Amino acid sequence: MGEVIWVEVLSRHHDVVARHRCVGPEVHIGRGYDNDVVIDDPYVAARHVCIAREDDGTLVALDPGSANGLFADHGAKRLQRIVLDGEHPIRIGHTYLRIRDANHVVSRERLAAPPGRAWPVVLALGVGLLAAEGILLWLGETGEPKPSRYVLPLLGLTVSVLAWTTLWAILSRIFSGQARFEHHLLIALTALLAFSLYNELVDYAAFALTWRMLAVYEYVGSWLWFSALCFLHLRVIGASRLRLKAGVVAALAAVGISTQTLAQWETHAALDGTSYVRHLKPPALRVAFPQSESAFFADVEKLKAPLDRARSEDPLSGGVFSLLDADD
Amino acid sequence: MVQRRCRQLLWCIALALCGHAAAAEEAASPPPAAALTPAAPVAPPSLSSTAERVYEAARPSLLQIRTLLEAAGRQSSLGSGFLVNGEGMAITNYHVVSQYAFEPSTYRLEYAAPDGSRGALKLLAFDIANDLAVVQLDKRDQPFFQFDTRALQGTLPKGERLYSMGNPLDLGFTIVEGTYNGLVERSYNDRIHFSGAINAGMSGGPTVSADGRIAGINVAKQLGSDLVSFLVPARFAAVLIERAQSGKPLSPADSRAEVGRQLSAWQAKFYQAIAEQGLRGASFGPYQAPESAARWFTCWARTNANQVPKPRATVNMTNCNTDTWLFIADDLNTGVVRFSHSYVRSVDLNQFQFATFLSQQSQPGSLEGWSPKRYTRQRCHESFMGDSTLTGRPLVRAVWCARAYREFAGLYDVSVTAVTEDRGSEALVSRLSMQGVAYENAVQLTKRFLGAVRWAK
Repeated sequence: MGEVIWVEVLSRHHDVVARHRCVGPEVHIGRGYDNDVVIDDPYVAARHVCIAREDDGTLVALDPGSANGLFADHGAKRLQRIVLDGEHPIRIGHTYLRIRDANHVVSRERLAAPPGRAWPVVLALGVGLLAAEGILLWLGETGEPKPSRYVLPLLGLTVSVLAWTTLWAILSRIFSGQARFEHHLLIALTALLAFSLYNELVDYAAFALTWRMLAVYEYVGSWLWFSALCFLHLRVIGASRLRLKAGVVAALAAVGISTQTLAQWETHAALDGTSYVRHLKPPALRVAFPQSESAFFADVEKLKAPLDRARSEDPLSGGVFSLLDADD
Repeated sequence: MVQRRCRQLLWCIALALCGHAAAAEEAASPPPAAALTPAAPVAPPSLSSTAERVYEAARPSLLQIRTLLEAAGRQSSLGSGFLVNGEGMAITNYHVVSQYAFEPSTYRLEYAAPDGSRGALKLLAFDIANDLAVVQLDKRDQPFFQFDTRALQGTLPKGERLYSMGNPLDLGFTIVEGTYNGLVERSYNDRIHFSGAINAGMSGGPTVSADGRIAGINVAKQLGSDLVSFLVPARFAAVLIERAQSGKPLSPADSRAEVGRQLSAWQAKFYQAIAEQGLRGASFGPYQAPESAARWFTCWARTNANQVPKPRATVNMTNCNTDTWLFIADDLNTGVVRFSHSYVRSVDLNQFQFATFLSQQSQPGSLEGWSPKRYTRQRCHESFMGDSTLTGRPLVRAVWCARAYREFAGLYDVSVTAVTEDRGSEALVSRLSMQGVAYENAVQLTKRFLGAVRWAK
């Protein structure tokens, strides 16, 4: 007991590539065949490292005199001796090793969802999404009602969702070994449903409050939504390095928002831009308190000064910035 | 042929002839020989001999007015003109010299007389509202035209034969016979209706009575019609000549500011006239909406009721606008006021669908022809408007959009849209658009306009 020592060969990303059961008190690791663990790495010495137990019972790695030396994980400093805690790997040549003994404590097992539980939810969400999109199409229908106007967009939506999900499932399969199709589908459907509702809500709020900035900057929310969607997919692929993943999607959102802001600014500079709420809704949904006639014309008078200032401005600048200091 | 609503947009087309446009026009028109009919009607000898006499007498006083691109020395637009006094002053249209008036460093003016002589021109004065300009030749003591006193007093009889001269399409000086048909009845700016063939390039040329005296100045023709042409009455030219003689000459650098001053003065009178004429109510379903009572508004109505497939909401629209179209530059026209109302009523749309339909009908951004060079970007104020003190008036969603003219201080284009918000399945979309108006005048007219959107009694 206690003399069993596990030597795990890790990949660069610390996934276990091979695991060797060795019996102490000392374990020798190197390229030579007189070792307990043989490593096929040309940068590893014939006898590169020796694992031994100190008097107090801790395991240490010792370098008996290799050319390339012994390092802690990604560290750059060559060490003669490393105390092993069973968590942090050591590096010899281009190979990462993790040493654990039989006393190493493992974490509790994760609870598995009962098989098949996800599918009814996925199905319900799918039907919900199609129903929501169908209703939105119907509410926007002002011409002759034709079935193709509903079938084609809904079919398109279905195909896009499936294609998107398949893409993530393939990535999942490559990087984590499991496709997890239903997880990805669940995420895609939830996000799309939330997105449709968000879009409609913004439109309604812009009308109800006569607050056109909501409609103008709707895309900011869309990009945040899209990044969150990607983050959730990435989390399903693997729960490791969540901070890095969050950073990547945050960067995606930042790039998206800034690019679109720039594009909007340039369009606004070149064209006359949207400066009012475009989508009307039923009068019953009005929330804003109506302005009195005198207040309306007082606000109208306030537009005169910025217009007069704009006379002398450079014709092709000041897009977003004049949007920001706008009338309301 | 029935005159449709869109025809009104075409009237008053500048006759200044641009080089490339002329080439296109020539290419498009059939060869001149083919246009001649074999059995040409025989004109009474007395008339043709009058034309001969008139042209012979007028010839030394006629001019072609050319705008040349300074850098290339080539013509960029052509028009006509005529001498009016012994000091070498000539009358032409403002639109013939507008390029020079706006960009005096890019263009220069030149005349070409029928005898082949050429020389430089100086711009002395212009009148935007009547599309006239006075130019100064570099030679004096040439024969010149007299004004017809009956024309100055407005007593020419309808049907009198007039002779219009100029250089159409740069083909050479031409005389055209036509008939005086009085003033255009529904016009704010006085224009003579002349039934004769005026063509591009004759702008600014004289139209004279049989004794060779000026009755009017060629200015425009109606596109899509036959021989419907317009002249500026002679009295405006007489007034402008007096102004050019007494006032100090216009400096090229100041001409753009002068355009702004004239526009400001013109709109002040125009909006006062609209206010004096008053508004009258027109009925649209349960609503009443304002129209101007002035005779110089032309109204057209349109409906979608007979469309196939049957529309799911009916739209009855009327559109009234003035013919006060002012030419300022090739890419800048102004002066028009438009009232338009659409009464929209759902046939079988629910309230949400109706609101979507209404959004398509009521886009407020109707300030056409934006260019960053001429205008600032528009700024809008929108809100629900109305309170309990406004009895008889529905709650409206009002949008005011305005843009300023970069070159003319104190002038704006304004478009106001009001959509009634009291019912879920019918609405009135009322629009007022004003071009080249002072802010105060626009606010005043808008107040009266919005105040007159009411429930029918």
